[in-house]
Amino acid sequence: MNILNQNLILGLLSCALLPGIAAPVSAQTPAMYASMRQTDNIPYHKAGTMSLKDALIRLKKLQNIRFAYREGLLDGKMVPADVVDKAETMEAEAALKLLLSDFALAYSRVNKTQYSIYTRDVNTTILNYNALFADKLKGKITGPDGAPVPGATISVKGNSALVTVANDKGDFELNLKDATLPVVLVVSSIGFDKQEITVNSAADLVSVTLAESNKALSEVVVTALGIKKDKKALAYAVTEVKGSDFTQAREVNVANALTGKIAGVNATSLASGPGGSSRVIIRGNTSLNGDNQPLYVVNGMPIDNTTPGGSPTTGGGGQNVDRGDGIGGINPDDIETISVLKGGTAAALYGSRAANGVILITTKKGRARKGVGVDYNSTFTAETPVVFTDWQYEYGQGDGGVKPSSQSQAVTWGRRSWGAKMDGQNYIAFDGKEHPYSPQKNNIQNFYRTGSTYTNTVAFNGGNEALNFRFSLSNTNSKSIVPNSKFDKKIANLNLNAVLGKKISIEAIAQYNVENATNRSSSGDATGNPNWGVYMIANTVDIRSLDPGYDANGREIQWNETAYASNPYFVVNRFKNNDTKNRFIGQASVKYDILKNLYVKGNISRDFFNYDYVGIIPTGTVYTTGAAGEYSGIRNAVSETNSMLTANYNTKLAGTIGLNVLAGGNSRRYKSNQTAITGTQFIIPFFYSYTNLSTVTTTPTRNNVATNSIFGAVDLDYKSVLFLNFSGREDWFSTLSPQNNHIFYPAVGSSFILSDAVQLPKAISFAKVRASWAQVGGATPDPYILNQSYSMVQGGHEGQPVQTITQSNGANLVTNSNLKPLTSTTYEVGVEAQLLNNRIGFDITYYNKHTTNDIVTTAISTTSGYNNALLNVGKLSNKGIEVLLTGTPVKSKNFTWNVSYNVAYNQSKVEQLAAGLTTLQMATSVGSWAFIHNSVGSPYGVIKGYSAAKNEKGETIYNSATGYEQKSALKNLGNGVPPLTMGFSNTFNYKRLSLDVLVDGKFGNKVFSVMNVYATRFGLHKKTLKGRENGLELSGVDQNGNAYTNTIPVSNLRLYYDNTKNYTDQFIYDGSFVKLRQVVLSYQIPVQKLKIVQSASLSFVARNLLILYKNTDNFDPESSYTNSNAQGFEAFGIPRTRSFGLNLMAKF
Amino acid sequence: MKMRFNFLIYTAIAATLLIQSCDKGFEEMNVNPDASSSAVPEYMFSKALLDALNNSWFATDALACGGSMQQFATYKDVPGIGDKYYFQQGTYPYDYFTTGFPGAVNEIATVINALDSSEVNELSISRIWRVFIMHRITDLYGDIPYSEAAQGYTTNNFTPSYDAQKDIYADMLNELDEAAQALDASKTTFGAGDYIYEGDVTKWKKFAYSLMLRLGMRMSKIDATSAQTWVQKAIAGGVITDDADIATMKYTDGTSLNRNPRAAALLSNDYAVADGTSNTEGGKLAQTFINLLKDNNDPRLNVIAIVWKDGKADTSTALQFGMPNGLLLKPDSFVYYSEPNPSTILQYTAPIIVMSAAEVNLYLAEAAVRGWYSGDAATTFSAAIGASMRNWAEFGTAGVIAESKITAYQAAHTLTGTTAQQLEMIGNEYYVSMFLDEQEIHANWRRLGYPALTPVNISGNITGGTIPRRLLYPPSEESVNAASLQEAIDRQGANLMTTRIWWDKE
Repeated sequence: MNILNQNLILGLLSCALLPGIAAPVSAQTPAMYASMRQTDNIPYHKAGTMSLKDALIRLKKLQNIRFAYREGLLDGKMVPADVVDKAETMEAEAALKLLLSDFALAYSRVNKTQYSIYTRDVNTTILNYNALFADKLKGKITGPDGAPVPGATISVKGNSALVTVANDKGDFELNLKDATLPVVLVVSSIGFDKQEITVNSAADLVSVTLAESNKALSEVVVTALGIKKDKKALAYAVTEVKGSDFTQAREVNVANALTGKIAGVNATSLASGPGGSSRVIIRGNTSLNGDNQPLYVVNGMPIDNTTPGGSPTTGGGGQNVDRGDGIGGINPDDIETISVLKGGTAAALYGSRAANGVILITTKKGRARKGVGVDYNSTFTAETPVVFTDWQYEYGQGDGGVKPSSQSQAVTWGRRSWGAKMDGQNYIAFDGKEHPYSPQKNNIQNFYRTGSTYTNTVAFNGGNEALNFRFSLSNTNSKSIVPNSKFDKKIANLNLNAVLGKKISIEAIAQYNVENATNRSSSGDATGNPNWGVYMIANTVDIRSLDPGYDANGREIQWNETAYASNPYFVVNRFKNNDTKNRFIGQASVKYDILKNLYVKGNISRDFFNYDYVGIIPTGTVYTTGAAGEYSGIRNAVSETNSMLTANYNTKLAGTIGLNVLAGGNSRRYKSNQTAITGTQFIIPFFYSYTNLSTVTTTPTRNNVATNSIFGAVDLDYKSVLFLNFSGREDWFSTLSPQNNHIFYPAVGSSFILSDAVQLPKAISFAKVRASWAQVGGATPDPYILNQSYSMVQGGHEGQPVQTITQSNGANLVTNSNLKPLTSTTYEVGVEAQLLNNRIGFDITYYNKHTTNDIVTTAISTTSGYNNALLNVGKLSNKGIEVLLTGTPVKSKNFTWNVSYNVAYNQSKVEQLAAGLTTLQMATSVGSWAFIHNSVGSPYGVIKGYSAAKNEKGETIYNSATGYEQKSALKNLGNGVPPLTMGFSNTFNYKRLSLDVLVDGKFGNKVFSVMNVYATRFGLHKKTLKGRENGLELSGVDQNGNAYTNTIPVSNLRLYYDNTKNYTDQFIYDGSFVKLRQVVLSYQIPVQKLKIVQSASLSFVARNLLILYKNTDNFDPESSYTNSNAQGFEAFGIPRTRSFGLNLMAKF
Repeated sequence: MKMRFNFLIYTAIAATLLIQSCDKGFEEMNVNPDASSSAVPEYMFSKALLDALNNSWFATDALACGGSMQQFATYKDVPGIGDKYYFQQGTYPYDYFTTGFPGAVNEIATVINALDSSEVNELSISRIWRVFIMHRITDLYGDIPYSEAAQGYTTNNFTPSYDAQKDIYADMLNELDEAAQALDASKTTFGAGDYIYEGDVTKWKKFAYSLMLRLGMRMSKIDATSAQTWVQKAIAGGVITDDADIATMKYTDGTSLNRNPRAAALLSNDYAVADGTSNTEGGKLAQTFINLLKDNNDPRLNVIAIVWKDGKADTSTALQFGMPNGLLLKPDSFVYYSEPNPSTILQYTAPIIVMSAAEVNLYLAEAAVRGWYSGDAATTFSAAIGASMRNWAEFGTAGVIAESKITAYQAAHTLTGTTAQQLEMIGNEYYVSMFLDEQEIHANWRRLGYPALTPVNISGNITGGTIPRRLLYPPSEESVNAASLQEAIDRQGANLMTTRIWWDKE
């Protein structure tokens, strides 16, 4: 297997991990185990006896099996010690038989690891059966998606002896024996609500559809390292979402679908079109300017989530595109569950990169079954642009109140709507033809097209107990609303599980992605951004008159005064911007059960992708030198490789305390080998090869990063009432200086099941409190930043070599040889409860997260010779509350209504930057009109800018020489990141119909709108109507405090409004919103009669239907176009879309 | 219990072993395979030479200085910072802060730090070049970080204080004095890495004194006494008066590093299409400049300017018209206005004349008129004209001006009249002979007030209709170096384009 890197394995060996873990393992012989058992297990109550319950608990741990039995069934039953000892040397079933033999109890095997225990009354059962010829009930148990629920328990209410279990296909048979009809059947299964159904006649087929349970009672969730744990044992908040939540109303990038679903998770989709990135922030930003997105882990092993070529910059132009992230390459159909580990305790075992939280994805596996099962999922959606612009349509194209009178004037005024009152008369437009001087309100609809996304996945699964598989193929075709832009991805995923004999099991996963993007749209500045012209063209010009955007010689037709505002049609028709990503994710693990309760597991995984990007700014582009075009290319090979070895041991101490010990080591290697080629001026026109450029620069970037770690965890469980866990991890980072390159960090947590410990009022079915404290250490992800280095300028000058200071991200960086690890410390407390027979539930968490010694790239005065310095001093805090409320307001035979409401408030605060620094500039808007800062004492990521200066009386101060308002000092204008997020999900089930409605909202942030700056400068904004007829009256005071009045004549109105760009606050909007995010209406097609189909459903799906609340003018509050830390700017991204479609799911 | 205890012990032992071996190879891994760990002074000096002359020429020289000096014009708004005193968009006024300090300033500091004190010539030449770099920045902005500049890496000074321009001048002159005296022809040099003089120490000495002359003269308005002292010291040291000694930077066509940055900037921003009308930033040569050349029958007009006629670049005098400054719309006559000559100025292989005999001779003439120099003012003035005209031959054959034309022009323009009249003639000659070095033209205009320019006064301008006297400190300084900046503003005046810097006293 060539993905396994030889060096890596050698590296692991030399790192002594194998001896480190293997030594205690090999020492653990069965003999030693036996001796241990006698000294410190659950004590025998009386001489030579112990309770049956304790004996079964011992058996449970020993054999790793579970039991279900009626409450009180085992009470008062005692077993002789020698029987227990004997049973523990036997296989599970034999042991069980032996233990139960003295009592009127029987068991039945539910599945490989589950048994149910019930009363056995030999005489009555046989007697009654024979005597009464009782009716036999037959039926089928299915889940809400129509899939069978194997292992569901069906019992007769009031007669717990009458019980059976559904088989693999969900079918069951139940002998009614001594019961008489009608009977009430109780159907239950883990993960589903218990359901009661009255059966009047044994002749009918009993069909029961179980609703999925959202209760925390007996939920098993996937936690760190892929370990499944009982949710009640967890000392921290963890939220699990089913993969099926993402497969109907789909997002091309699955992470975008997290929006509104989980308290404390702020998922933002970007205005960058299909195939774009997501930005997910859990409990606020952890690092001042490091990566703040969570670590994505698939089946216990991390994957890469980088964006090739980096995120778009806030003020960039040309080909400022979002090239997609790593999580976008995971097919939602392959996802069984997504667990979000929000806190440090949850994530501590993942090490440094988990400080931002971890998103754990567990993929679907094959299941033992007859034949091959086939799942098919097909979704088609159509996307239409949502129009927010509400421009003024009273005064048309022109300047100074005058409409263009010649073609050249029409070109100069192509983006000026400062003309005369619209009169419908013909005038000369930029194409030299006559057009009516009338409003053109449909430019957005006319330029963009209806987008579409077509997704098909087919998955096969099958096998037996020893070897099973799941193989899926998926194809996503997405046509952007931007003409000539599309994205498609194909994903093949294979999962193999094999049990080799009794002790060894292996699992292997292989995934291959091919992702192709064509002409991703640029955003930000005007150059090469097709969206810019569509929005800014004068309001009497039909955008279609710019089509096709080039003349007979292929030269861009200029529609306005500046070459830098590209012709949108030229961009979509001539620019080329294509990338291909070939990605392979491979994982293999071997688990060896040394003893029943001790195993070692070795995992190795590699996420590798090869990326090839070519961007062509074509010949004829008027803003390029000589209109000769530009070239940019990126070739990148990235790999993220992890090797992990863990040992896990569990036992019982003193009979009542469960103990689980985990120890392990991990070695991570990250490699990126990138070559960027940029050049200008194609020598032979229209020949787009980098061999055909006047100037070419090739920049290699070869990053090589390693982290080695050891970790351990101890979990204690006292009677399933009190849980305690401890963990610790030590990391060594290659990117830090050898003196300071490692850090140890511990975590501790506890959970207490109040409802099991004390008698609570009957209304409270379940109550739990939890608390945890954890540290996570981290380092800079970038290598080579300890010492300044020097690079050669390729080719030199005049035959002489030329050397330059090596730059970091295009800027001079003061490197820092003293960097040490940063630490993020979190504590959290929480309480969760189920009330009124599980009809109402809540889960409340308070957390407090502090980041210290944050490694911060700080913008410093350029007069220091450097743009940035790397400092190790940042302090940042995030504290907040997360609330999840669940309930079932209506529950009747045919109709249920489930609600889930989550809300999270996060208060972030920048506590400290470097000595003498009070603020850190993170990003600059187009035009340098607004900035994103991290300022001491302020929340993370505030928007800064200027306003018109006012005196203490509130009067505007004018500069009498220029007639313009004086500019204030730079000041804080609001948060770029919303502190308050919420989601409200409703599910209605009526017979075969179900309706799922998700509403979500974010509140408390501000957005600086670059588009509104331009719309004001160009006379499109409604506020520019003031002064159009008789000039604009201004009054205030002058710089000397004297009264000042001035009238701006109509002829100068444009320049007056143009100057308002200096007053940032005029373009700051409240970014709060509430959106109707998702609606899914599903119908379970009755397929019982079709032998071949197990289940099928057809759904109407829609996303981003309506904005129920917003405060922004002319744009969607969700208009960010970069997944970098700089949030809070809007600048001509692709219009947000509304999508509708159909989804068909079928199982065969 | 024993078992678990053993387990822990083994784990602890293993962990201890790991601590010693778990970062093996990390240090080597963290070395950038595409960079070297030390600076080679010679190679870095080359970069400092290139970067000092390739920084913001289009924005600062052509648009800001060249526009306000009415040598360049544009009908557009956004590039109209000098043309109309507009500031609509862009970072034009900040470029020397954002790219000059991290570029040439930091590079020359790196060279100086990397040199051994025994490398006397390399050190002295680097000090001279540092003065060259710094004086251009202080002349644009006034007070700037000087003594604490470019120490981000060496002393971690991230918030350099601003020095008063008066102190900067004192130190720069002192540096030139010390460095010029330290030069020693018997010792090693940068050799071919020194593109300007290829290690010729004698010529560097002349360059140092010529620069001293320039800086000394700069103080003529604020402190005539000091000015006189330094001017005389410079002249005594020996300055560039012969064509053979002029400081010239040579370029070739190749990557952006190799091309003449002025030609590259003009081509990429305005003149690449070469049809007289597709000019991206709406640029042309300005009316004031072209008229002055025409009025004087200056033969330099025909090597500087062309008009596109029938698809050909025509240099004939009769066709040359400059575009008026302050236009708001593309004039119908746009195509008929003069543009920089593609055969001279727009050649990628054209040189940059860093310090010319023409400039030095003009300083000598001015010094003579002021009574600070014993030479003959008229002779040196005439020599300056000759040197300037011969300089154009460096741009290629299209730049060659016939000796007869030079002589005729010299004869027609002899330096006579009152002191004021002579200073005006000298001022006008700086204006023409230093064309393309717009920062120097702007500096000499501020100092002398010649040529007499009539500002445009277009509504919406930010200077109240006066010619800008400095550029603006960038907002980033307000954000990351606020206290230091405030000190400078308190000393110098508001951060406006109308505020006068120290040597530009009214």
